[in-house]
Amino acid sequence: MNSLFLNNQVIVYIFSETVLALLTLIIFVMALKFIRYWDFNSFSNFQLKLEKEANLVMTIATFLFTLKLLLLIYFVYTIDNLSLIVPGAMCGAGVISANDYGMTLLFVKIIVIFGLLLFLVVNHYDLLGKNYPLFRFKSWVIVTAALLIFGEFYLDISYFTNIDTSVPVSCCSALFGNLEGANPLPFGLDIKMLLVLFFTLYFGAVVALYLESRLLSTLLLALFGVIAYYSVVYFFGTYVYELPTHKCPFCMLQKEYNYIGYLIWGSLFFGLYFGFIWVIMSLRSYKLERIKLASILLLTLFVAINSFYVANYYLHNGVLLENIK
Amino acid sequence: MVEVENLNKIYTVGSKQEKVLDGITFHIQKGELVLLRGVSGSGKTTLLSILAGMEKPSSGKVLIDSEPISKLPDIHLSHFRAKKIGMVFQHFNLIENLTLLDNVLVPLVANRVGLKEAKEMALAALKNARIEHKKDAYPNRLSGGEKQRGAIARAIVAKPSLLLCDEPTANLDSKNSQSFIEQLMQMHKEGQTIVVATHDPIFETLECEHRIIDIKNGKIV
Ligand SMILES: Nc1ncnc2c1ncn2[C@@H]1O[C@H](COP(=O)(O)OP(=O)(O)O)[C@@H](O)[C@H]1O
Ligand SMILES: [Mg+2]
Repeated sequence: MNSLFLNNQVIVYIFSETVLALLTLIIFVMALKFIRYWDFNSFSNFQLKLEKEANLVMTIATFLFTLKLLLLIYFVYTIDNLSLIVPGAMCGAGVISANDYGMTLLFVKIIVIFGLLLFLVVNHYDLLGKNYPLFRFKSWVIVTAALLIFGEFYLDISYFTNIDTSVPVSCCSALFGNLEGANPLPFGLDIKMLLVLFFTLYFGAVVALYLESRLLSTLLLALFGVIAYYSVVYFFGTYVYELPTHKCPFCMLQKEYNYIGYLIWGSLFFGLYFGFIWVIMSLRSYKLERIKLASILLLTLFVAINSFYVANYYLHNGVLLENIK
Repeated sequence: MVEVENLNKIYTVGSKQEKVLDGITFHIQKGELVLLRGVSGSGKTTLLSILAGMEKPSSGKVLIDSEPISKLPDIHLSHFRAKKIGMVFQHFNLIENLTLLDNVLVPLVANRVGLKEAKEMALAALKNARIEHKKDAYPNRLSGGEKQRGAIARAIVAKPSLLLCDEPTANLDSKNSQSFIEQLMQMHKEGQTIVVATHDPIFETLECEHRIIDIKNGKIV
Protein backbone atom coordinates (compact mmCIF):
# COMPACT_ATOMS: atom_id res chain seq x y z
CA MET A 1 0.00 0.00 0.00
CA ASN A 2 2.55 2.59 1.02
CA SER A 3 4.04 3.30 -2.37
CA LEU A 4 3.81 6.96 -1.47
CA PHE A 5 6.53 6.82 1.14
CA LEU A 6 8.94 5.77 -1.59
CA ASN A 7 8.09 8.69 -3.80
CA ASN A 8 11.28 10.57 -4.71
CA GLN A 9 10.18 13.91 -3.34
CA VAL A 10 8.94 12.36 -0.13
CA ILE A 11 12.25 10.54 0.33
CA VAL A 12 14.21 13.76 -0.16
CA TYR A 13 11.89 15.56 2.20
CA ILE A 14 11.94 12.93 4.96
CA PHE A 15 15.70 12.53 4.66
CA SER A 16 16.24 16.28 5.02
CA GLU A 17 13.85 16.47 7.94
CA THR A 18 15.66 13.59 9.65
CA VAL A 19 19.05 15.25 9.32
CA LEU A 20 17.64 18.55 10.55
CA ALA A 21 15.88 16.87 13.47
CA LEU A 22 19.16 15.27 14.55
CA LEU A 23 20.97 18.61 14.37
CA THR A 24 18.08 20.14 16.28
CA LEU A 25 18.57 17.55 19.01
CA ILE A 26 22.17 18.73 19.42
CA ILE A 27 21.33 22.41 19.71
CA PHE A 28 18.39 21.56 21.98
CA VAL A 29 20.70 19.86 24.48
CA MET A 30 23.24 22.66 24.19
CA ALA A 31 20.58 25.33 24.71
CA LEU A 32 19.42 23.58 27.89
CA LYS A 33 23.01 23.64 29.08
CA PHE A 34 23.24 27.36 28.32
CA ILE A 35 20.05 28.09 30.22
CA ARG A 36 21.34 26.16 33.21
CA TYR A 37 24.92 27.47 33.39
CA TRP A 38 25.28 30.71 31.39
CA ASP A 39 26.81 33.49 33.49
CA PHE A 40 28.25 36.21 31.32
CA ASN A 41 29.91 37.99 34.23
CA SER A 42 32.06 35.00 35.04
CA PHE A 43 35.54 34.63 33.57
CA SER A 44 35.84 30.98 34.50
CA ASN A 45 37.19 28.32 32.22
CA PHE A 46 33.71 26.82 31.99
CA GLN A 47 31.96 30.06 31.03
CA LEU A 48 34.58 30.91 28.39
CA LYS A 49 34.10 27.42 26.97
CA LEU A 50 30.33 27.98 26.92
CA GLU A 51 30.88 31.21 25.00
CA LYS A 52 32.90 29.39 22.36
CA GLU A 53 30.27 26.67 22.14
CA ALA A 54 27.55 29.30 21.94
CA ASN A 55 29.17 30.70 18.82
CA LEU A 56 29.07 27.30 17.19
CA VAL A 57 25.56 26.46 18.36
CA MET A 58 24.09 29.76 17.19
CA THR A 59 25.74 29.34 13.80
CA ILE A 60 24.28 25.85 13.47
CA ALA A 61 20.88 27.10 14.62
CA THR A 62 20.90 29.90 12.07
CA PHE A 63 21.83 27.50 9.30
CA LEU A 64 19.30 24.94 10.45
CA PHE A 65 16.44 27.34 10.81
CA THR A 66 17.08 28.92 7.45
CA LEU A 67 17.05 25.49 5.83
CA LYS A 68 13.79 24.64 7.56
CA LEU A 69 12.17 27.75 6.14
CA LEU A 70 13.15 26.60 2.66
CA LEU A 71 12.02 23.08 3.40
CA LEU A 72 8.51 24.31 4.22
CA ILE A 73 8.15 25.63 0.70
CA TYR A 74 9.40 22.28 -0.59
CA PHE A 75 6.86 20.52 1.64
CA VAL A 76 3.95 22.51 0.27
CA TYR A 77 5.23 21.94 -3.25
CA THR A 78 5.55 18.20 -2.59
CA ILE A 79 2.06 17.96 -1.15
CA ASP A 80 0.73 19.71 -4.19
CA ASN A 81 2.61 17.37 -6.52
CA LEU A 82 1.38 14.30 -4.66
CA SER A 83 -2.14 15.15 -5.65
CA LEU A 84 -1.26 13.55 -8.98
CA ILE A 85 -0.65 10.23 -7.23
CA VAL A 86 -3.20 10.14 -4.43
CA PRO A 87 -6.49 9.02 -5.94
CA GLY A 88 -9.29 11.53 -5.67
CA ALA A 89 -7.00 14.45 -4.78
CA MET A 90 -7.04 17.39 -7.17
CA CYS A 91 -4.73 19.56 -5.11
CA GLY A 92 -2.97 19.71 -1.77
CA ALA A 93 -6.27 19.81 0.10
CA GLY A 94 -7.00 16.17 -0.66
CA VAL A 95 -3.44 15.07 0.09
CA ILE A 96 -3.28 16.91 3.40
CA SER A 97 -6.56 15.38 4.53
CA ALA A 98 -5.61 11.87 3.42
CA ASN A 99 -5.22 11.08 7.11
CA ASP A 100 -5.73 12.71 10.49
CA TYR A 101 -2.10 13.84 10.79
CA GLY A 102 -2.09 16.15 7.77
CA MET A 103 -3.89 19.18 9.14
CA THR A 104 -2.12 18.96 12.50
CA LEU A 105 1.21 18.73 10.70
CA LEU A 106 0.46 21.80 8.65
CA PHE A 107 -0.65 23.70 11.72
CA VAL A 108 2.46 22.72 13.69
CA LYS A 109 4.62 23.77 10.75
CA ILE A 110 3.02 27.21 10.73
CA ILE A 111 3.90 27.60 14.41
CA VAL A 112 7.40 26.18 13.94
CA ILE A 113 8.16 28.72 11.23
CA PHE A 114 7.21 31.46 13.66
CA GLY A 115 9.66 30.05 16.20
CA LEU A 116 12.43 29.86 13.62
CA LEU A 117 11.87 33.39 12.45
CA LEU A 118 11.72 34.65 16.01
CA PHE A 119 15.05 32.97 16.72
CA LEU A 120 16.71 34.51 13.67
CA VAL A 121 15.58 37.98 14.74
CA VAL A 122 16.46 37.53 18.42
CA ASN A 123 19.85 36.06 17.55
CA HIS A 124 20.61 38.95 15.23
CA TYR A 125 19.93 41.55 17.90
CA ASP A 126 21.67 39.51 20.57
CA LEU A 127 24.87 39.49 18.55
CA LEU A 128 24.62 43.23 17.96
CA GLY A 129 24.93 43.76 21.70
CA LYS A 130 28.31 43.49 23.36
CA ASN A 131 27.24 41.28 26.26
CA TYR A 132 24.72 38.94 24.62
CA PRO A 133 21.73 40.83 26.07
CA LEU A 134 19.17 38.34 24.73
CA PHE A 135 21.16 35.17 25.26
CA ARG A 136 18.93 33.43 27.79
CA PHE A 137 15.83 34.40 25.87
CA LYS A 138 17.14 33.07 22.60
CA SER A 139 18.15 29.83 24.29
CA TRP A 140 14.57 29.47 25.43
CA VAL A 141 13.40 30.15 21.90
CA ILE A 142 15.69 27.36 20.68
CA VAL A 143 14.39 24.95 23.31
CA THR A 144 10.76 25.72 22.49
CA ALA A 145 11.33 25.63 18.74
CA ALA A 146 13.24 22.36 19.09
CA LEU A 147 10.38 20.71 21.01
CA LEU A 148 7.99 21.80 18.28
CA ILE A 149 10.38 20.50 15.63
CA PHE A 150 10.47 17.09 17.34
CA GLY A 151 6.67 17.05 17.34
CA GLU A 152 6.68 18.10 13.72
CA PHE A 153 9.11 15.32 12.85
CA TYR A 154 6.89 12.74 14.53
CA LEU A 155 3.93 14.05 12.56
CA ASP A 156 5.99 14.08 9.35
CA ILE A 157 6.72 10.39 9.69
CA SER A 158 3.22 9.49 10.85
CA TYR A 159 1.66 11.46 8.07
CA PHE A 160 3.70 10.14 5.18
CA THR A 161 3.61 6.51 6.35
CA ASN A 162 -0.16 6.58 6.67
CA ILE A 163 -1.29 7.65 3.27
CA ASP A 164 -3.00 4.72 1.66
CA THR A 165 -2.83 5.21 -2.09
CA SER A 166 -5.51 2.59 -2.67
CA VAL A 167 -8.14 4.58 -0.80
CA PRO A 168 -9.55 7.62 -2.58
CA VAL A 169 -9.57 10.88 -0.63
CA SER A 170 -11.90 13.83 -0.85
CA CYS A 171 -10.89 16.84 -2.85
CA CYS A 172 -11.36 20.45 -1.94
CA SER A 173 -14.90 20.75 -3.23
CA ALA A 174 -15.98 18.16 -0.68
CA LEU A 175 -13.81 19.55 2.11
CA PHE A 176 -14.47 23.24 1.75
CA GLY A 177 -17.61 23.25 -0.41
CA ASN A 178 -20.90 24.11 1.11
CA LEU A 179 -22.57 20.85 0.29
CA GLU A 180 -24.86 20.32 3.25
CA GLY A 181 -25.87 23.93 3.40
CA ALA A 182 -24.36 24.32 6.84
CA ASN A 183 -22.51 27.59 7.38
CA PRO A 184 -18.76 26.84 7.39
CA LEU A 185 -17.83 30.31 8.62
CA PRO A 186 -16.88 30.91 12.25
CA PHE A 187 -18.99 32.92 14.73
CA GLY A 188 -22.04 32.41 12.50
CA LEU A 189 -20.81 35.05 10.09
CA ASP A 190 -22.10 35.53 6.59
CA ILE A 191 -19.85 36.58 3.71
CA LYS A 192 -20.79 40.22 3.99
CA MET A 193 -19.95 40.39 7.70
CA LEU A 194 -16.79 38.37 7.03
CA LEU A 195 -15.59 41.01 4.59
CA VAL A 196 -16.50 43.88 6.86
CA LEU A 197 -14.46 42.20 9.59
CA PHE A 198 -11.65 41.43 7.15
CA PHE A 199 -11.08 45.06 6.20
CA THR A 200 -11.84 46.45 9.66
CA LEU A 201 -9.42 44.07 11.36
CA TYR A 202 -6.75 44.70 8.75
CA PHE A 203 -7.10 48.42 9.25
CA GLY A 204 -7.21 48.06 13.03
CA ALA A 205 -4.16 45.80 13.16
CA VAL A 206 -2.12 48.14 10.98
CA VAL A 207 -3.10 51.15 13.06
CA ALA A 208 -2.39 49.31 16.31
CA LEU A 209 1.05 48.36 15.02
CA TYR A 210 1.67 51.85 13.82
CA LEU A 211 0.67 53.29 17.19
CA GLU A 212 2.79 50.58 18.84
CA SER A 213 0.05 49.25 21.06
CA ARG A 214 1.22 45.78 22.01
CA LEU A 215 -1.99 44.38 23.42
CA LEU A 216 -4.18 45.68 20.64
CA SER A 217 -1.72 44.58 17.96
CA THR A 218 -1.62 41.04 19.33
CA LEU A 219 -5.37 40.79 19.59
CA LEU A 220 -6.15 42.29 16.20
CA LEU A 221 -3.40 40.38 14.39
CA ALA A 222 -4.63 37.09 15.82
CA LEU A 223 -8.24 37.83 14.89
CA PHE A 224 -7.22 39.06 11.48
CA GLY A 225 -5.31 35.81 10.91
CA VAL A 226 -8.42 33.74 11.53
CA ILE A 227 -10.75 35.98 9.54
CA ALA A 228 -8.21 36.29 6.70
CA TYR A 229 -7.99 32.51 6.39
CA TYR A 230 -11.76 32.16 6.00
CA SER A 231 -11.96 35.19 3.73
CA VAL A 232 -9.43 33.74 1.33
CA VAL A 233 -10.97 30.27 1.27
CA TYR A 234 -14.61 31.32 1.06
CA PHE A 235 -14.46 34.60 -0.79
CA PHE A 236 -11.23 35.86 -2.35
CA GLY A 237 -10.19 32.41 -3.52
CA THR A 238 -13.28 32.10 -5.64
CA TYR A 239 -12.10 35.17 -7.55
CA VAL A 240 -8.66 33.66 -8.04
CA TYR A 241 -10.38 30.62 -9.53
CA GLU A 242 -13.13 32.71 -11.10
CA LEU A 243 -15.57 30.09 -9.97
CA PRO A 244 -18.12 30.75 -7.20
CA THR A 245 -18.14 27.14 -6.02
CA HIS A 246 -14.38 26.59 -5.94
CA LYS A 247 -13.42 27.05 -2.29
CA CYS A 248 -9.91 25.89 -1.58
CA PRO A 249 -6.73 27.17 0.07
CA PHE A 250 -4.48 24.85 -1.94
CA CYS A 251 -5.39 24.99 -5.63
CA MET A 252 -4.05 28.53 -5.89
CA LEU A 253 -0.58 27.11 -5.25
CA GLN A 254 -0.72 25.49 -8.67
CA LYS A 255 0.70 26.64 -11.97
CA GLU A 256 -2.75 27.33 -13.47
CA TYR A 257 -3.08 30.20 -11.02
CA ASN A 258 0.50 31.46 -11.46
CA TYR A 259 1.46 30.02 -8.07
CA ILE A 260 -0.25 33.08 -6.58
CA GLY A 261 -1.10 31.04 -3.47
CA TYR A 262 2.52 31.19 -2.36
CA LEU A 263 2.36 34.97 -2.43
CA ILE A 264 -1.08 35.16 -0.83
CA TRP A 265 -0.33 32.81 2.06
CA GLY A 266 3.27 33.94 2.29
CA SER A 267 2.37 37.61 2.67
CA LEU A 268 -0.33 36.79 5.21
CA PHE A 269 1.78 34.51 7.41
CA PHE A 270 4.96 36.54 7.26
CA GLY A 271 2.98 39.72 7.82
CA LEU A 272 1.51 38.15 10.96
CA TYR A 273 4.84 36.66 12.05
CA PHE A 274 6.63 39.98 11.81
CA GLY A 275 3.80 41.69 13.67
CA PHE A 276 4.01 39.22 16.56
CA ILE A 277 7.80 39.37 16.52
CA TRP A 278 7.59 43.13 16.77
CA VAL A 279 5.36 42.76 19.84
CA ILE A 280 7.64 40.21 21.50
CA MET A 281 10.79 42.21 20.84
CA SER A 282 9.19 45.41 22.09
CA LEU A 283 8.44 43.59 25.35
CA ARG A 284 12.23 43.23 25.54
CA SER A 285 12.47 46.98 24.87
CA TYR A 286 13.65 46.62 21.30
CA LYS A 287 11.67 48.90 19.00
CA LEU A 288 12.26 47.30 15.64
CA GLU A 289 10.98 49.79 13.12
CA ARG A 290 11.87 47.72 10.09
CA ILE A 291 10.13 44.60 11.40
CA LYS A 292 7.04 46.67 12.14
CA LEU A 293 7.16 48.18 8.68
CA ALA A 294 7.67 44.75 7.09
CA SER A 295 4.59 43.50 8.90
CA ILE A 296 2.46 46.44 7.79
CA LEU A 297 3.68 46.21 4.20
CA LEU A 298 3.17 42.45 3.93
CA LEU A 299 -0.34 42.60 5.37
CA THR A 300 -1.12 45.45 3.01
CA LEU A 301 0.26 43.44 0.11
CA PHE A 302 -1.92 40.53 1.19
CA VAL A 303 -5.05 42.66 1.28
CA ALA A 304 -4.09 44.34 -1.99
CA ILE A 305 -3.59 41.07 -3.90
CA ASN A 306 -6.92 39.73 -2.69
CA SER A 307 -8.75 42.93 -3.50
CA PHE A 308 -7.07 43.04 -6.87
CA TYR A 309 -8.57 39.70 -7.88
CA VAL A 310 -12.06 40.91 -6.99
CA ALA A 311 -11.61 44.29 -8.69
CA ASN A 312 -10.08 42.71 -11.75
CA TYR A 313 -12.97 40.29 -12.10
CA TYR A 314 -15.52 43.02 -11.66
CA LEU A 315 -13.86 45.29 -14.22
CA HIS A 316 -13.78 42.51 -16.79
CA ASN A 317 -17.19 41.08 -16.18
CA GLY A 318 -19.19 43.92 -14.69
CA VAL A 319 -20.61 41.58 -12.08
CA LEU A 320 -19.53 39.93 -8.83
CA LEU A 321 -19.42 36.14 -8.49
CA GLU A 322 -21.92 36.20 -5.63
CA ASN A 323 -24.53 37.68 -7.96
CA ILE A 324 -24.21 34.96 -10.58
CA LYS A 325 -27.08 32.56 -10.12
CA MET B 1 43.84 50.70 30.49
CA VAL B 2 44.87 47.03 30.47
CA GLU B 3 43.71 44.71 33.23
CA VAL B 4 44.74 41.09 33.19
CA GLU B 5 43.61 38.89 36.04
CA ASN B 6 44.38 35.24 36.63
CA LEU B 7 44.79 34.58 32.93
CA ASN B 8 45.32 30.97 31.87
CA LYS B 9 45.85 29.53 28.43
CA ILE B 10 45.97 25.82 27.84
CA TYR B 11 46.79 24.31 24.47
CA THR B 12 45.65 20.77 23.88
CA VAL B 13 47.92 18.94 21.47
CA GLY B 14 46.68 15.43 20.89
CA SER B 15 45.85 14.14 24.33
CA LYS B 16 48.43 16.31 26.03
CA GLN B 17 47.49 19.56 27.70
CA GLU B 18 50.11 22.26 27.86
CA LYS B 19 49.65 25.22 30.17
CA VAL B 20 51.22 28.05 28.18
CA LEU B 21 50.03 30.86 30.43
CA ASP B 22 49.55 30.21 34.12
CA GLY B 23 47.77 32.63 36.42
CA ILE B 24 49.02 35.84 34.79
CA THR B 25 47.94 39.01 36.59
CA PHE B 26 49.04 42.57 35.81
CA HIS B 27 47.69 46.05 35.13
CA ILE B 28 49.01 48.62 32.68
CA GLN B 29 48.26 52.31 33.03
CA LYS B 30 47.65 54.61 30.11
CA GLY B 31 50.92 55.86 28.63
CA GLU B 32 53.08 53.15 30.19
CA LEU B 33 55.87 51.40 28.30
CA VAL B 34 56.05 47.76 29.34
CA LEU B 35 58.74 45.28 28.37
CA LEU B 36 57.58 41.69 28.43
CA ARG B 37 60.74 39.65 28.76
CA GLY B 38 61.29 35.94 28.59
CA VAL B 39 63.13 33.27 26.66
CA SER B 40 61.72 31.77 23.51
CA GLY B 41 58.72 29.59 24.31
CA SER B 42 57.89 31.33 27.58
CA GLY B 43 54.48 32.45 26.31
CA LYS B 44 55.06 36.07 25.21
CA THR B 45 53.47 35.76 21.79
CA THR B 46 50.50 33.92 23.26
CA LEU B 47 49.98 36.68 25.80
CA LEU B 48 50.16 39.42 23.15
CA SER B 49 47.73 37.50 20.92
CA ILE B 50 45.24 37.38 23.78
CA LEU B 51 45.69 41.10 24.46
CA ALA B 52 45.07 41.71 20.76
CA GLY B 53 41.90 39.61 20.84
CA MET B 54 43.32 37.17 18.31
CA GLU B 55 43.34 34.27 20.75
CA LYS B 56 40.81 33.45 23.45
CA PRO B 57 41.98 32.69 26.98
CA SER B 58 41.08 29.38 28.60
CA SER B 59 40.06 31.31 31.68
CA GLY B 60 40.71 34.64 33.31
CA LYS B 61 39.83 38.25 32.83
CA VAL B 62 41.24 40.54 30.15
CA LEU B 63 39.92 44.10 30.05
CA ILE B 64 41.17 46.70 27.59
CA ASP B 65 39.69 50.17 28.03
CA SER B 66 37.25 48.38 30.39
CA GLU B 67 36.00 46.08 27.61
CA PRO B 68 36.20 42.30 28.20
CA ILE B 69 37.73 41.67 24.80
CA SER B 70 37.87 37.90 25.14
CA LYS B 71 34.10 37.90 25.45
CA LEU B 72 33.12 40.27 22.68
CA PRO B 73 31.04 38.74 19.89
CA ASP B 74 32.98 38.52 16.64
CA ILE B 75 31.56 41.60 14.95
CA HIS B 76 32.48 43.73 17.94
CA LEU B 77 35.85 42.07 18.29
CA SER B 78 37.09 42.89 14.79
CA HIS B 79 35.80 46.43 15.15
CA PHE B 80 37.48 46.74 18.52
CA ARG B 81 40.77 45.40 17.15
CA ALA B 82 40.80 47.72 14.17
CA LYS B 83 40.13 50.68 16.42
CA LYS B 84 42.09 50.03 19.56
CA ILE B 85 45.02 47.73 18.84
CA GLY B 86 48.14 48.29 16.74
CA MET B 87 50.56 45.42 16.20
CA VAL B 88 54.16 45.20 15.08
CA PHE B 89 55.49 41.72 14.37
CA GLN B 90 58.88 40.10 14.15
CA HIS B 91 58.36 39.37 10.46
CA PHE B 92 56.76 42.77 9.76
CA ASN B 93 53.82 41.05 7.97
CA LEU B 94 53.41 43.67 5.26
CA ILE B 95 51.28 42.69 2.29
CA GLU B 96 53.71 42.03 -0.56
CA ASN B 97 51.62 43.22 -3.48
CA LEU B 98 50.59 46.52 -1.96
CA THR B 99 52.79 49.59 -1.85
CA LEU B 100 53.86 50.78 1.57
CA LEU B 101 51.28 53.57 1.45
CA ASP B 102 48.50 51.10 0.65
CA ASN B 103 49.71 48.80 3.42
CA VAL B 104 49.33 51.65 5.87
CA LEU B 105 45.89 52.46 4.49
CA VAL B 106 44.56 48.95 5.24
CA PRO B 107 43.64 49.50 8.93
CA LEU B 108 41.87 52.72 8.02
CA VAL B 109 39.72 50.99 5.45
CA ALA B 110 38.70 48.58 8.21
CA ASN B 111 37.80 51.61 10.31
CA ARG B 112 35.74 53.12 7.49
CA VAL B 113 37.70 56.34 7.29
CA GLY B 114 37.05 58.33 4.11
CA LEU B 115 39.76 57.96 1.46
CA LYS B 116 40.99 61.54 1.45
CA GLU B 117 41.32 61.72 5.21
CA ALA B 118 42.80 58.20 5.26
CA LYS B 119 45.55 59.27 2.82
CA GLU B 120 46.44 62.24 5.00
CA MET B 121 46.56 60.06 8.11
CA ALA B 122 48.67 57.42 6.33
CA LEU B 123 51.19 59.99 5.10
CA ALA B 124 51.40 61.50 8.58
CA ALA B 125 52.04 58.03 10.06
CA LEU B 126 54.71 57.29 7.44
CA LYS B 127 56.35 60.62 8.20
CA ASN B 128 56.17 59.90 11.90
CA ALA B 129 57.90 56.57 11.32
CA ARG B 130 60.47 58.30 9.11
CA ILE B 131 59.72 56.23 6.03
CA GLU B 132 57.63 58.70 4.03
CA HIS B 133 60.17 58.73 1.17
CA LYS B 134 59.46 55.05 0.42
CA LYS B 135 55.69 55.31 0.34
CA ASP B 136 55.37 54.03 -3.24
CA ALA B 137 57.78 51.12 -2.83
CA TYR B 138 56.68 47.51 -2.57
CA PRO B 139 57.81 45.65 0.59
CA ASN B 140 60.24 43.32 -1.26
CA ARG B 141 62.24 46.39 -2.28
CA LEU B 142 62.71 47.51 1.31
CA SER B 143 65.43 46.65 3.79
CA GLY B 144 64.55 45.05 7.15
CA GLY B 145 64.78 48.38 8.94
CA GLU B 146 62.60 50.08 6.35
CA LYS B 147 60.01 47.31 6.52
CA GLN B 148 59.89 47.65 10.29
CA ARG B 149 59.34 51.39 10.04
CA GLY B 150 56.56 50.71 7.54
CA ALA B 151 55.06 48.23 9.98
CA ILE B 152 55.20 50.82 12.75
CA ALA B 153 53.45 53.34 10.52
CA ARG B 154 50.71 50.79 9.86
CA ALA B 155 50.39 49.96 13.55
CA ILE B 156 49.96 53.55 14.69
CA VAL B 157 48.03 55.02 11.77
CA ALA B 158 44.61 54.44 13.36
CA LYS B 159 45.84 55.92 16.64
CA PRO B 160 45.33 52.74 18.68
CA SER B 161 44.98 52.85 22.46
CA LEU B 162 47.43 50.01 22.76
CA LEU B 163 50.51 49.27 20.66
CA LEU B 164 51.77 45.69 20.86
CA CYS B 165 55.20 44.76 19.50
CA ASP B 166 56.28 41.12 19.25
CA GLU B 167 60.06 40.70 19.00
CA PRO B 168 60.31 43.86 16.90
CA THR B 169 64.12 43.80 16.69
CA ALA B 170 64.63 40.08 16.07
CA ASN B 171 65.17 40.58 12.35
CA LEU B 172 67.03 43.87 12.55
CA ASP B 173 70.76 44.60 12.75
CA SER B 174 72.03 46.58 15.73
CA LYS B 175 71.86 49.92 13.94
CA ASN B 176 68.26 49.45 12.91
CA SER B 177 67.41 48.04 16.34
CA GLN B 178 68.79 51.18 17.92
CA SER B 179 66.73 53.27 15.53
CA PHE B 180 63.63 51.26 16.47
CA ILE B 181 64.28 51.93 20.14
CA GLU B 182 64.54 55.64 19.46
CA GLN B 183 61.17 55.54 17.74
CA LEU B 184 59.75 53.60 20.63
CA MET B 185 60.91 56.26 23.06
CA GLN B 186 59.48 58.95 20.83
CA MET B 187 56.06 57.26 20.79
CA HIS B 188 56.25 56.77 24.55
CA LYS B 189 56.96 60.47 24.96
CA GLU B 190 53.86 61.23 22.93
CA GLY B 191 51.80 59.22 25.42
CA GLN B 192 51.29 55.98 23.50
CA THR B 193 50.66 52.91 25.67
CA ILE B 194 53.10 50.23 24.50
CA VAL B 195 53.85 46.59 25.29
CA VAL B 196 57.01 45.11 23.77
CA ALA B 197 57.65 41.36 23.97
CA THR B 198 61.32 40.67 23.49
CA HIS B 199 64.32 38.67 24.57
CA ASP B 200 66.75 41.03 22.83
CA PRO B 201 69.39 42.29 25.31
CA ILE B 202 69.52 45.60 23.48
CA PHE B 203 66.49 46.68 25.52
CA GLU B 204 68.57 46.44 28.71
CA THR B 205 69.84 49.92 27.97
CA LEU B 206 66.46 51.51 27.35
CA GLU B 207 66.84 55.13 28.39
CA CYS B 208 63.32 56.04 29.34
CA GLU B 209 60.86 55.24 32.05
CA HIS B 210 59.54 51.72 31.61
CA ARG B 211 58.36 48.70 33.47
CA ILE B 212 59.62 45.16 33.06
CA ILE B 213 57.46 42.06 33.34
CA ASP B 214 59.51 38.88 33.32
CA ILE B 215 57.75 35.77 32.22
CA LYS B 216 59.02 32.21 32.58
CA ASN B 217 57.16 29.05 31.62
CA GLY B 218 53.96 31.04 31.36
CA LYS B 219 54.28 32.59 34.84
CA ILE B 220 55.25 36.08 35.90
CA VAL B 221 58.46 35.92 37.96
N1 LIG C 1 48.72 27.09 18.58
C1 LIG C 1 49.48 26.44 19.46
N2 LIG C 1 49.24 25.14 19.73
C2 LIG C 1 49.99 24.47 20.65
N3 LIG C 1 50.99 25.01 21.33
C3 LIG C 1 51.31 26.29 21.09
C4 LIG C 1 50.56 27.07 20.15
N4 LIG C 1 51.08 28.32 20.13
C5 LIG C 1 52.11 28.30 21.01
N5 LIG C 1 52.24 27.10 21.58
C6 LIG C 1 53.23 26.74 22.61
O1 LIG C 1 53.14 27.67 23.64
C7 LIG C 1 54.41 27.94 24.19
C8 LIG C 1 54.64 29.44 24.21
O2 LIG C 1 54.71 29.91 22.89
P1 LIG C 1 54.87 31.47 22.55
O3 LIG C 1 53.78 32.19 23.18
O4 LIG C 1 55.03 31.60 21.09
O5 LIG C 1 56.22 31.83 23.28
P2 LIG C 1 57.23 33.01 22.96
O6 LIG C 1 56.54 34.00 22.11
O7 LIG C 1 57.58 33.52 24.31
O8 LIG C 1 58.39 32.41 22.28
C9 LIG C 1 55.42 27.18 23.34
O9 LIG C 1 55.80 26.03 24.04
C10 LIG C 1 54.64 26.82 22.11
O10 LIG C 1 55.08 25.61 21.61
MG1 LIG D 1 57.12 34.70 20.24
